[in-house]
Amino acid sequence: MTSELTIGMAGSGGDGIVSAGDSLMTALALAGYHAMLTKSFGPQIRGGESSFRLRVSTRPVLSPGGTLDVAVALNWDDFLKFGGELPLDGHSVVIYDENTGVAPDKIPVTGVKPAEVVMVGIEAMAKNTVGSEKAKNTIVLGLMAGWFGLAPENIRAGLRKRFAKKGEEIVARNERAFEAGLAWAREHPLRHARTLGPAPEGASTKLVTDGNDLCAAGAIYAGCEFFGGYPITPSSEIMHFLNREIWKYGGTMLQCEDEIAGIGACVGASFAGKKALTATSGPGMSLKTEMLGLATIAELPLVVVNVQRGGPSTGIPTKSEQSDLFQAAFSAHGDAVRPVLAPINVADTFPITVEAFNIAEKYQTPVIILSDQEISQRKEAIDRPDTSSLRVERRRVPNQQELEHYVRFRITESGVSPISHPGMKGGNYLASGIEHTESGAPTASGLVHSKMNDKRLRKLGPLKSRADLFLTEGPAHASLALVAWGSISGLALEALQLSHRAGLDVKLLVPRLLYPVAEEVYREFFASVKRGLVVEQSHQGQLYRVIRMFVDMPAGVESFARSGSNPISPVELVERLRSQARELLANREPVSQAE
Amino acid sequence: MATSALPRAAEAFVAKDFKSELKPIWCPGCGDFGVVQAIYRALAAIGRPPHEIAFVSGIGCSSRIPGYTTAYGFNTVHGRALPIAQGIKLASPELLVLVAGGDGDGFSIGGGHVAHAVRRNIDLTYIIMDNQIYGLTKGQLSPTSPRGLRTASSTYGSMEDPVNPLLYVLGYGARFVAQGTPADMGQLSKLIEEGIRFPGFAFINVQSPCVTYGEPETQLKAQKQRMETLESLGHDPSDRIKAMELAQHYGEKLHTGVFYRDPAPPPPYSHYVAERQGELRDDTLTREHILDVFLPRE
Repeated sequence: MTSELTIGMAGSGGDGIVSAGDSLMTALALAGYHAMLTKSFGPQIRGGESSFRLRVSTRPVLSPGGTLDVAVALNWDDFLKFGGELPLDGHSVVIYDENTGVAPDKIPVTGVKPAEVVMVGIEAMAKNTVGSEKAKNTIVLGLMAGWFGLAPENIRAGLRKRFAKKGEEIVARNERAFEAGLAWAREHPLRHARTLGPAPEGASTKLVTDGNDLCAAGAIYAGCEFFGGYPITPSSEIMHFLNREIWKYGGTMLQCEDEIAGIGACVGASFAGKKALTATSGPGMSLKTEMLGLATIAELPLVVVNVQRGGPSTGIPTKSEQSDLFQAAFSAHGDAVRPVLAPINVADTFPITVEAFNIAEKYQTPVIILSDQEISQRKEAIDRPDTSSLRVERRRVPNQQELEHYVRFRITESGVSPISHPGMKGGNYLASGIEHTESGAPTASGLVHSKMNDKRLRKLGPLKSRADLFLTEGPAHASLALVAWGSISGLALEALQLSHRAGLDVKLLVPRLLYPVAEEVYREFFASVKRGLVVEQSHQGQLYRVIRMFVDMPAGVESFARSGSNPISPVELVERLRSQARELLANREPVSQAE
Repeated sequence: MATSALPRAAEAFVAKDFKSELKPIWCPGCGDFGVVQAIYRALAAIGRPPHEIAFVSGIGCSSRIPGYTTAYGFNTVHGRALPIAQGIKLASPELLVLVAGGDGDGFSIGGGHVAHAVRRNIDLTYIIMDNQIYGLTKGQLSPTSPRGLRTASSTYGSMEDPVNPLLYVLGYGARFVAQGTPADMGQLSKLIEEGIRFPGFAFINVQSPCVTYGEPETQLKAQKQRMETLESLGHDPSDRIKAMELAQHYGEKLHTGVFYRDPAPPPPYSHYVAERQGELRDDTLTREHILDVFLPRE
């Protein structure tokens, strides 16, 4: 019995790899397991190679995992194309199709000797049982269920449901294929048998979702009534989801002619008093930037999701990167500060989106959510988000008395002034990108400009003490530290657990609020720290540099930054921390005791 | 059935109810003074109170115009008035939404948005103040400047043909297309009023001269000599092909009046939005329900 398994599978486009991954995921979620499913494709629009990796566990899954416990290759050419994403080691079980014509002792994997290599006539079995090689993926599901105990009942039920529309004949064929795989596995037990243990007693059915869909759901929960946007990888699913759901909640959406119009329509909807969302990726962000500045100076609430991908320019549209932080924080001209939030995993996209709307509404500002391709498109089986602690805020509108002598941009102590919208009698005002007086009249006065900049920046001051927008783990007085954000934080959490097991005195900080930099939170965290790593998937180490702009980080804290599409493993983080701990000892720097 | 967000009960308004206290930055004699007056008159005739009107513009001399009205104004960024106005109208379909800007704002930097506003047919009235020059930036070529025009950015003469705003929108299927001039205030305010009353996207090109950088033949005095009303030519505004023929003369002749008015306009975009919401809206759904879509289904 094992409490978790990491399974990888690769084949060519027509092999149904993705649907096999989805079937497994659904079956496991119904059984109450936690799981994380990442899919990877070649650059082709259709066809080409595809793969998935699925990590299933009786506990919450923090990262896609390292080397595979189980690897399935429908053909070796395709499998090898995903080399770094589907790594093997000495404990892996490798299952591959006999039709590849490769002998088990000749598989084209170099540098490791898997624990067990099993050749199965997958294609032959598909042809024999149902007369079509299309059923290869269903054969594999049978094998998985048989060898690893992956919820066979749920897989069966799932197949029936999935193929119901195609008629009884197709359902029956797939059932036959599944049973054939299952029987074959039972007749040919593995030498290194491993079966997934049962989900915890009373484990509830999990929700299956990804970071794009759950972000869109968060927007609906927050009361978003308008979406405007333009298709772009890897964020389009946010538009797809809202296009299906927003009408049911009384909202509307518009696929616009370009990225600028997408955010423009949202700025308009917000001016009209509605909560609005747009979503894009790096290139779209570049185009939307002027409009963000308009929302800042006109003090209009607005939420913009940037699902980051490799850049600059078109970069690598299908791979994750965390290289848009500088852009998110600094791309505006003029003295504009806009809040930047980042979810730490799929589940977090829900509360972070609600929070983004709350901040936008409360402070009348655009807010950027920096998601990333990894979070946005990987599927997770997660517990239903706890909504009992979520509040939904609305912008402060003027009351009757304030409307009698309404002054839209009144300078207040907090910087926030009540905001009216068309339709509200007495609230009439001129919104503009031009600097304006308190009443909204255009001005070129340096004095007014300075006061207005101060008002707009002052509004965001309270964010800097939002310690609740930070995740901290580990002993408070640790001398070693990890700092990570976005999808990388799962790896960092795992590295933290591994380093505690290795006896290292480490703590972890994960900012969900990236900008403005919460100086006090960082100062407090770094007080005990002598060495550490700021881990991120960008070439320059953008978070590391942004923190250093505002905080005197201990000199021993280094940037651990790597361009997107290059995996970072928890193990290498632990290794780096271990050598930092050795440096501390060698320098006789006092190391505080782990608590 | 085509509907427009138009007057419920007409309250009694006069032009000056729509005039704000802000003093225009325009040069004395600027054509835009006439345009804003015509807008006041049209709005008074329509009878919607100022707080139910959203007036959106881009950037340029003429784009200052919302501030000179008592409506909710939004002086946005260069070239982007249309997308913002569409967002306003979709978010609050009950509002009367006006959009205005110059020829550069609409047909150069914002040119990409015009086609889509036309084909989407959201109920907006788009007023272009066309002066064939960039005034705010002190006299450069605009997209409607005639070939050969010498300006600060074309010392030796323009080597390009101008955009024809009338043909442009007619080509994309605009259903209400008119041209006016402050040289005929009565006609101009009527055209604007008619555009507002039209259900769907309405386009009004106004020959509004720049007194500082404009050519002598574009000034109001010269316009009065040149202008010919389409009515006097016996034009039938329900004839789209004829409208396109007449629109060919943009730049040579000054035709004013309604070029084209769809005699049987289809419902505007917001009608379909309301229809879809009516079909799909489910008031029994609380926000919590959105998470149910993620329950795994066998």
